[in-house]
Amino acid sequence: MAETFPIYIWINEERFEKLQKAGLADKAVEAFAGLKRLEVHANEAQKDELLKKFPGSKCDLSTTRSIELLPRAFKDKLFEKVLELKRLDPEVVDAALKD
Amino acid sequence: MAKKRSSKKVSAGRARKKAVAKVDNTLSPHGGKLVNRVVEDREKAKKLASKAKVELPIRDQHAREIVSMAYGFFSPLDGFMKRADVASICKKMTLASGYVWSIPIVFDLSDDEIRSMGIKEGDTILLKYQNQPFATLEVEEIYSFDKKLMAVSVYGTDDEKHPGVKRTYQYKDKFLGGRITLINPPVINPPFDKFWYPPAKSREKIKEFGWKRAVAHQTRNVPHTGHEWLMKGAWFEAQSDVNPNECGVLVNCVVGEKRKGDYIDEAIVLSHAALGENGYFKQGTHMVSILLWDMRYAGPKEAIFHAIVRKNMGCTHHMFGRDHAGVGDYYDKYAAHEIFKKIPDLGIKSVLTLEWWYCPTCAEVTYEGLCGHKPQKFSGSVLRSILLDGVKPTRLIMRPEVFDTVMMAAEKYGFGNPFVDDRYLAERNPVMTVPPMEV
Repeated sequence: MAETFPIYIWINEERFEKLQKAGLADKAVEAFAGLKRLEVHANEAQKDELLKKFPGSKCDLSTTRSIELLPRAFKDKLFEKVLELKRLDPEVVDAALKD
Repeated sequence: MAKKRSSKKVSAGRARKKAVAKVDNTLSPHGGKLVNRVVEDREKAKKLASKAKVELPIRDQHAREIVSMAYGFFSPLDGFMKRADVASICKKMTLASGYVWSIPIVFDLSDDEIRSMGIKEGDTILLKYQNQPFATLEVEEIYSFDKKLMAVSVYGTDDEKHPGVKRTYQYKDKFLGGRITLINPPVINPPFDKFWYPPAKSREKIKEFGWKRAVAHQTRNVPHTGHEWLMKGAWFEAQSDVNPNECGVLVNCVVGEKRKGDYIDEAIVLSHAALGENGYFKQGTHMVSILLWDMRYAGPKEAIFHAIVRKNMGCTHHMFGRDHAGVGDYYDKYAAHEIFKKIPDLGIKSVLTLEWWYCPTCAEVTYEGLCGHKPQKFSGSVLRSILLDGVKPTRLIMRPEVFDTVMMAAEKYGFGNPFVDDRYLAERNPVMTVPPMEV
């Protein structure tokens, strides 16, 4: 299976309500001191595209292999796409990138 | 002529030997006297400026160092270092006088600049900042120094990826050593003005609070609860032999050159102040201040520098946690703890701490040295990720007032971003402004 790179979307109350309405509340996992997050997975090509599109972002290759410091607007868009497509795989990333 | 020079050398050598034998590194301020090279009187300042034969614009780093030296943060330094000081730091981590010192403070200039401006030893130079007369430099010595030796001695590496090494290699070919005088003190702009406590003032404030123990916290971060407990743990240790109202935490935020992705300076100082304003430290136990300084990321060597600066500010204790002033993996994570065992007593007690972390079993912030569960460590990148999403962390991670202050600072000072970006670097309000001065 090809490697994927997580993008974390942190969940506040407002986002959690939306997840509940979409029947996705169980997808939010507790990550840090009670704070939950979604883990959306990008494939390698998407990781490269994101790093190029958003030069301030980075991929923490040494530890978590997660894609960090993406702009809030993109994360918001990604969250919308999760609600719409009800999935957390590279297809969601594609949809957010195309939008 | 030759005889005269030789006798001068001998007498300077003897004097130095005598000074080295006599130094007491426990003196507070460092060296025994708080340096004050600030001229407030405008007429006197103009007179000093008029003695200068050459005018020279300076960069931000030097401006910050001049202010810090002039107000005594770097006592006993009263100017940019001469060769003997730099050589002594590289060889044995002391000034030529024998006082412990770990980081060279130098004024670099190119051969071409020196030649074209006709600068000679014995000259006084008028240093200009923000196009205004700012300070004078009495050029006592013009010298060159092996930059690789300087880098390796201070940073333990010659790897140019290390930001301190890179800075050293970027220095121009020559160095000017000599005393400085700040003739046009800058105005410290809001919101930093209320955190501006030069050593004379911070010492007064400590006295006013009635602190017999003042424990310094060095920071470039917005405080999460791990930082808060680091400060509280150090306070417990410092307070153990005095009454609780006789001990306080002096937060000293380093304000200097920024890198993309750092927290903006305004968010750092205001969010630390929010901890005191909202009772997480009760009134009279907590004070926030700034230090104008470009971090060198020299790890243990910078820890020593921090200890000296905070001693000059009147602190009796200094906390050192994991990876103090480090960068990448150049230093062991507790290198700053080890180095204090190898140097003379600096007259400021090191409070050496391990990590504070969140434990889901204890359901609280707890201490590495005590908690036997699997922790969730505070990670800078995780917190950045949370804040960038605009999501309020649970109060176990960050106090709500701290979060709100960070977001307010982002809107007011950071163009919507709590982290440094290109726009902040280009358009931020300056920390200090040099007033107009006619010479």
